[in-house]
Amino acid sequence: MNPNDILAKAETLRNNLSSGFRDEIVKSLYAEAETIAQRAVKTANEKRYDFDQKIDRLVTSPLTGLPIMLLLLAIIIWLTVSGANVASDAIATVLFGFGEWARALFVGWNVPWWITGFIWDGVYLGLAWVVSVMLPPMMIFFPAFTFLEDLGYLPRVAFNMDWMFKKAGAHGKQSLTMAMGFGCNAAGVVATRVIDSPRERLIAILTNNFVPCNGRFPTLIMLATVFVAAGFSPALTSIIASGTVVGIVLIGVAFTFLMSWILSRTVLKGEASAFTLELPPYRRPNVSRILYTSIIDRTIFVLWRAMQTAAPAGAIIWILANVPFGTSNLAAAIAGWLNPFGILLGLDGIILLAYIIAIPANEIVVPTMMMMYMGAGMMVDGPSSSAAIFDLLVNGNGWTMLTAVNLMLFALLHNPCATTIMTIYKETKSYKWATLSVVITLGTAFLVTFLTASVARLLGWA
Amino acid sequence: MNMTFWLIVLAVILLITFLPRVGLRSQYKSYRAAQEREQVEDALKHLLDREQAGRHASPESLAGILGLSRPRVTGLIEDMETQGLVESRGDQLHLTADGERWALHVVRAHRLWERYLADEARMPLGQIHSEAHRREHNLTDAQLDELDAALGFPTRDPHGDPIPTREGTLPKAEGTPVTAWQADRPARIVHLEDEPALAYEQILAAGIRLGQDIRILERTPQRVVLSDGENEYRLAPAVASNVTVAPIPEHELLKRESVPLTELAHDHRAEIVTLDDAVQGFTRRRFLDLGLTPGTIIYPELQNFFGDPRGYRVRGTLIALRKDQAAQIWVKPV
Amino acid sequence: MTNTKISLPTEHCESCPAYAQLEQMGIKTGDFDRVVALAGNPNTGKSTLFNALTGLKQHTGNWPGKTVTRAEGGYQFNSVKYKLVDLPGTYSLLSASQDEEVARDFILFGQPDCTIVVTDATALERNLNLVMQVMEITTHVVVAVNLMDEARRKGLEVDTRSLSRDLGIPAIPITARTGEGMSTLLTTVSEVIEGLVATKPLRVHGTPEFQKAVNELAPMIEQIAPGIPNARWLAIRLLDGDTRVQKALSSGELADIVGRQQRADVHFSKKMSVEGRQ
Repeated sequence: MNPNDILAKAETLRNNLSSGFRDEIVKSLYAEAETIAQRAVKTANEKRYDFDQKIDRLVTSPLTGLPIMLLLLAIIIWLTVSGANVASDAIATVLFGFGEWARALFVGWNVPWWITGFIWDGVYLGLAWVVSVMLPPMMIFFPAFTFLEDLGYLPRVAFNMDWMFKKAGAHGKQSLTMAMGFGCNAAGVVATRVIDSPRERLIAILTNNFVPCNGRFPTLIMLATVFVAAGFSPALTSIIASGTVVGIVLIGVAFTFLMSWILSRTVLKGEASAFTLELPPYRRPNVSRILYTSIIDRTIFVLWRAMQTAAPAGAIIWILANVPFGTSNLAAAIAGWLNPFGILLGLDGIILLAYIIAIPANEIVVPTMMMMYMGAGMMVDGPSSSAAIFDLLVNGNGWTMLTAVNLMLFALLHNPCATTIMTIYKETKSYKWATLSVVITLGTAFLVTFLTASVARLLGWA
Repeated sequence: MNMTFWLIVLAVILLITFLPRVGLRSQYKSYRAAQEREQVEDALKHLLDREQAGRHASPESLAGILGLSRPRVTGLIEDMETQGLVESRGDQLHLTADGERWALHVVRAHRLWERYLADEARMPLGQIHSEAHRREHNLTDAQLDELDAALGFPTRDPHGDPIPTREGTLPKAEGTPVTAWQADRPARIVHLEDEPALAYEQILAAGIRLGQDIRILERTPQRVVLSDGENEYRLAPAVASNVTVAPIPEHELLKRESVPLTELAHDHRAEIVTLDDAVQGFTRRRFLDLGLTPGTIIYPELQNFFGDPRGYRVRGTLIALRKDQAAQIWVKPV
Repeated sequence: MTNTKISLPTEHCESCPAYAQLEQMGIKTGDFDRVVALAGNPNTGKSTLFNALTGLKQHTGNWPGKTVTRAEGGYQFNSVKYKLVDLPGTYSLLSASQDEEVARDFILFGQPDCTIVVTDATALERNLNLVMQVMEITTHVVVAVNLMDEARRKGLEVDTRSLSRDLGIPAIPITARTGEGMSTLLTTVSEVIEGLVATKPLRVHGTPEFQKAVNELAPMIEQIAPGIPNARWLAIRLLDGDTRVQKALSSGELADIVGRQQRADVHFSKKMSVEGRQ
């Protein structure tokens, strides 16, 4: 007797069985389960699923389902924006103040200028920027989001939105993976495992980056606050700023649908697969668990990762800015070389250079950019308030509303960070898809910013 | 200096061209080999097709099917003869035992791929034939076994054709062409011939599906009119002869008294009668595992803005199903 | 979001009887005596139980399919160290989707000493489907009927004794959130492992045709891997066409795990007698 005999025997037996073999197994399993459960469970009164049902009817109802969804998104973003503003200013003041003080100390000790510069104007400044820009939004966003996640609301979003995904040739569970993408795109890519059909899973992976992750939120929040909301009265600032961020998120969602639609009609051709989605009962979220998870597991983890890239990035920027090149320095030279291309996209050379340096982690785009603008010799005193940043960018570096809008669009659409690209490679085991994820997003980002810049210029807005 | 440069360029070109395995030359050779093998496989399939239809292939028919000139076909046939796959008897080509085994292997690959494309990749039925045709070549038995198992050992392809077993037995396609069916007897469509493609397109365009239950309303030399109780389908007799029908299985008549789940009104309870035969593969397994077995009580509980999907309460859990899926679940209101 | 599991010094509640002899070990599972697997449908509170026993704070959101990999942690109960493996939540082990494969492979090839199937007291019927499938793979099964508080709230009365009798394995009512029933559960698990509680899992019969095929195939598998506890289940899987089981059979992996399991048993009883606990 050897294994192959058994396999052959199984094959013969299988061919003689009726084709509904699997159906029969499951049917008898469930029949047995039903009998046993009926014997074991007694229903005292007919009070079933009452409360859950009421909430469900509300959050999925044809009338209120979609508005509630938008409202929840807006509330979370508003909380994040308005809370982050206050905290960011405070943290920046403290951190930059400390930097100045320590720098002065080093100067007093007669430490060589390049050591002082490298440590305090390079590495430390990079870290200070990342912490003050990223920490506050994350501390607010993660707990709020985890609350919805634990409550069981996300599957309802998938339920509400599925029809749109179906029209785009994708799977409704893609909205679950997008929701995860708000936290971190790499996590969103891993979450696509919930989609069984390989085709639809690839669509979800390739488009996940159109959801701005926590590393990119701070960029959006800062720009929305400093530029878009700048002209409004202080009372309205946070509302206008969060409205802008919500708008950007919705543009990202629109691009997700558009790109899914294009993919499902070109490289990933096919029809929508079978869709089954369990809507689990609501559970009362455990507040201490939420705080623990969102602060330890999520915030600290993401911040730590950002700091690991921010420190070397700060060092690189400092070196670039201090290596002489022609009449100026290396950073200025590279930025100058990239500048025509940047202008074409409604951006500038420094922004593009910042994006290149920030490929390992998108979180450091704003810090890199700010450090280079400051290194260009305009001003250095702790640019902690919105007004100071506005002044630096507009008066010092010729930014316009177009620059801000296009930078927001670029931040939304451009290529995934290195971690996400690696994750895509690991999940798909293919260089082809990993490369395509970059091509698609970067292509879209270039195309869209080029179009908005051209249109704005044609119409004389910029 | 200049000399060295050109020497390096020459060396690189030579390397790119002649490097074993990755070089252009060997790439081209393996490409040619694969091409030739594909041609042989297509030819074998054609021969098998003909033999199953009770006829024999000829060099002409082969040239027509493969789109090759006569001299090329003659060369191909000679190659296949030396490999011991075919025998020429006069103008007729016969498969040898080896040839038939190989042909069945290719047919198996083709039909398994069609099953995969229809069930798992959810490609439109009209496209799966050509895609499967591209994928059916250069596969080993072990690869096919894996595909077969992953699909849950299907016995028929999406057109209703039987899939050969690993050992190379091919169950006879049951059923009668609708043109020869007893006119007053209801029937089920068990096979739609996908070749010639033009006729198949017409069948699909008329709205006829595999598994549909029909009656013959009219059969004249000009046209054949079928009805499924709601719609009427008109076909030219030549096209209709590509539609094969069989008697409706007894238990399937159950469906007669039931409605698709999509038609169940909000908050109305019903009992699942059966899952449609069109649900196969992973989807069917998922349905069963979620407890959508015959006899289960189900009722729509949640609607949404777009009207699709709906949330159904099944065995204490809320499960959302799209219309496409719900339409394949037959229920009896209680 | 992250896979980083952090072990914190946990102060267990001294006054609760549930934790009387329980010591949470977090992720320090390097040296353990027994392996216990946690299986169950999605949303039955599996992870809550896992966290309560190990003291870990593994996060799981409330959406289907959130855990696709397995998490590991440890606890010590009555001086025996257990490694606890949290498997992805699944409705079944038959569909062969990614999460189901992870769960199935661990129960079959990981050969846990005991498998706890966590069920939702408010939806027992659906949950028992999985319980019975696990029972086919391994006889060392304990059913934890979780969310008893919710069941009471909904006016349901669950008779775990009737359940236990019908299934042929222990069924323990618990509420993982509050710790209710934990100590009984852990005691039962250890008794099942020691063989102090005999389990006679129910077998689903199916059609006569099915029975006949299974009865022809199962003895052949037993011949190849003597002492294998789940020949019947393997036969069903082969008939159903499970590539993973086919591969395990032809590569000799199945025969291997039986041998490994028996060696582990000998090793453990030696260790216990040396330490004077048996």
